[in-house]
Amino acid sequence: MRKWIKALPVVALLFMTVIAQAEEKPKVIRIGAGGNSLNLPKSSGATGWVDEQGLLEKEFAKDGIKIERTYYKSMGPGQNEAIASGLIDFGSAGDLVLVVGRAGGLPYKIISTSGAGGGNVYIQVNPASGIKSLKDLKGKRIGYAKGTYLQLCFVRILDAIGLTEKDIKGVNLISSDQIAALATNSVDAIVSNSDRPLVDQGVAQLLFDTRKYPQFKGGPGAIFVTEAFANKYPDITKRVLKTLLKGYYWASKPENQDAIIASSVKTGGTYKHIKADQIGSLPPKEKYDPTITPEVLKGYQEIIDFSVKSGIIRRKYNVNELFDLRFQGPALKELGYDKYWVHK
Amino acid sequence: MSRNKLAILVLGALLIGHANLQAAETPETEQPKEQGSVVPFGSEDLTTAENLDEGGAISQADLSGVRSELATLRDQLTQRLDKTIANSKRSLSISGSTQTRYAASTSPGKSGFLFNSAILSLKGFLKKDYEEGKSFSYTLGLGSNASYNLQPTDAYLQYSIGQSLDIGQPYLYVNIGQQKKQFGLEATTTEDKQPAINTAQFASKLGLSSRDIGIRLYGDLVPIVDLGYNYRIPLIEYSLGLYNGSGTNAPDTNRNKDIEGRIAINAPVGYYSPWRGLTLGSSFYRGQQDLLKGTTLITNGDGEAIKSRYGADLSYVSAPLGFTAEYVLGRDEKALTGTTLANSTKKITTSRGYTVTFFYEWGEQFYKNSRSQSRNDDWWPTTFQPFIRYDHWDPDTLLANNETAVTTVGFNFFFAETTKFQLNYSISDDKATPLKQNSFAAQFQFGF
Repeated sequence: MRKWIKALPVVALLFMTVIAQAEEKPKVIRIGAGGNSLNLPKSSGATGWVDEQGLLEKEFAKDGIKIERTYYKSMGPGQNEAIASGLIDFGSAGDLVLVVGRAGGLPYKIISTSGAGGGNVYIQVNPASGIKSLKDLKGKRIGYAKGTYLQLCFVRILDAIGLTEKDIKGVNLISSDQIAALATNSVDAIVSNSDRPLVDQGVAQLLFDTRKYPQFKGGPGAIFVTEAFANKYPDITKRVLKTLLKGYYWASKPENQDAIIASSVKTGGTYKHIKADQIGSLPPKEKYDPTITPEVLKGYQEIIDFSVKSGIIRRKYNVNELFDLRFQGPALKELGYDKYWVHK
Repeated sequence: MSRNKLAILVLGALLIGHANLQAAETPETEQPKEQGSVVPFGSEDLTTAENLDEGGAISQADLSGVRSELATLRDQLTQRLDKTIANSKRSLSISGSTQTRYAASTSPGKSGFLFNSAILSLKGFLKKDYEEGKSFSYTLGLGSNASYNLQPTDAYLQYSIGQSLDIGQPYLYVNIGQQKKQFGLEATTTEDKQPAINTAQFASKLGLSSRDIGIRLYGDLVPIVDLGYNYRIPLIEYSLGLYNGSGTNAPDTNRNKDIEGRIAINAPVGYYSPWRGLTLGSSFYRGQQDLLKGTTLITNGDGEAIKSRYGADLSYVSAPLGFTAEYVLGRDEKALTGTTLANSTKKITTSRGYTVTFFYEWGEQFYKNSRSQSRNDDWWPTTFQPFIRYDHWDPDTLLANNETAVTTVGFNFFFAETTKFQLNYSISDDKATPLKQNSFAAQFQFGF
């Protein structure tokens, strides 16, 4: 009896520990993603495949943790608003929107890139605009989604020909509005991703694309997590990342490229253009390499510096403020992918 | 070209392009799968169905079939466009809202269902400027009045004097016609700052919520743009208007014009700032009104009496929190004695009203990007919004015990894109009557 009484505090402590550990997991993991021109709740690429296969749902089913996904039509800026409002825990967005969000104090960290490939950028023009070369863009109405990687790439292209955003009339257009705007002559040109149905119809012309000039293409986008979630649930964070990395591994295989393209078509792209964009890109293993390398960090620091110089953000900060490197290294190692994506 | 027609053309082009691509991408060596092979009944499985559905490579005959199908579809759509789809000479956007209410009160004989208002609004561009966004647009609204008759509400032209394409630059507009006066918050704000069913007492008592006919210049200065969120907030917003001063759907009753002005200072911060949504505003309205003794017009008193209103407001609306406060003074000249302007004795009455509102929200109704999600269904961010408001009105500051105070607690439930359900419980204390009463109102507000 006395032994039992003596053991009671220990049992109670153990019980409390178990309870505390049981509470150390969320009821739901809220994941943000970019929307698409068809307004469908789908994303493409590696994360799109993870979503389709329900890998995250399977991973956390045993813990009773639900997965909630929200697809924001306004892409990165929509996810930034959601983070600011405490509506999502994870997300994936382009480089510039994350750089801008962090500059404004958003409490999130990048835990992986979303592939080293980055997105190609296409400049489509209305033939009636008289634009024949990049320099003709001066003074013209150009539609692009401000605050996204498209803006950053476009500003860099302008910079290379001695222009700035002040030399053009920038119109803030999300991708779903760009086609109609160009077709109705609301803008002279658009800066877009690979989709260009108006070029196919002869309504618009393709002036420039970064397949020929990869130095201007988008940098690697990223997967981010809120600091609060990562600090409160580090193990869950690593498991989410590991599941997503499985998607990047699958996407990096040559035999899965047709499936990747088919998945992208479901988000509203044109098959021909997505395929051409894919072919004109890096080999799959490189394109879907999610590793945060010193080159990636250097690239992001350059984006921060360029954004300050261009007036996109006001606060200059060190890239380490934006990245949390605690998770990816161990996750890659546990999956054996550190021997697949090898960086010297 | 209307948006519908454009969408149809783009859809058709995409379908043709897709069919061509399917044909072009087919390897020449690939043999079409056998079509129509007989599967014993009962032995179908998903694989069988899938194979039949995909049908292998597309032949020229298949392509001809698709083209024929598209041509039929095009003809059908053309017929629908001609016969069943409304058309307009210029761009047109139709919207509207209706309020259906049940109200009950502790006062005898005051309860029942009420069809409170119905508003139909037509908007569009008369001339769209693609160069700089200096466009002409129109607004025509029809609303039901207390007698359930439709009458014009908004009826004005709007012209963008300055550019309106670059969100980093200031905007400047002019409105001409019948429109709402831009005085303070209560009389003008939308539902994100106005959770109660009824506006504050001073808004109607001082004629601030009614429309008037005139011209209004308004715009903003020093816009702050936070690209990380597609967020734009100008440091200064201003409005200056010149009106008849005789109210809605009424010609001018005198030669004088009323002048209205408003300036608001917004916190010049990015989206992720605790100060976002903080606004300090000030408004004035000065004019002349007919000199009345009671309700009788004094001879030669047309437009000879002073009418002025001054107001200040403070708001902090940053979801999930909301707070608004407004203070208004009114000065109205009336005749105490006499029958003509020359022999009348005049007196200026000063009235005063103020209101304070707090509200809190659970849900994503007021997050712009959350409302525009990619969804398969007709989901909308369900949002709950409890609030409390105190509303005070003193019709004559020189007289004691004539104030009316109304305290309202309420709950708003947003459950669809254009629909909300509102519950308000009000405790009012009219010291002049004197009458204390409690009232309850439940209202559906739905729009399209």
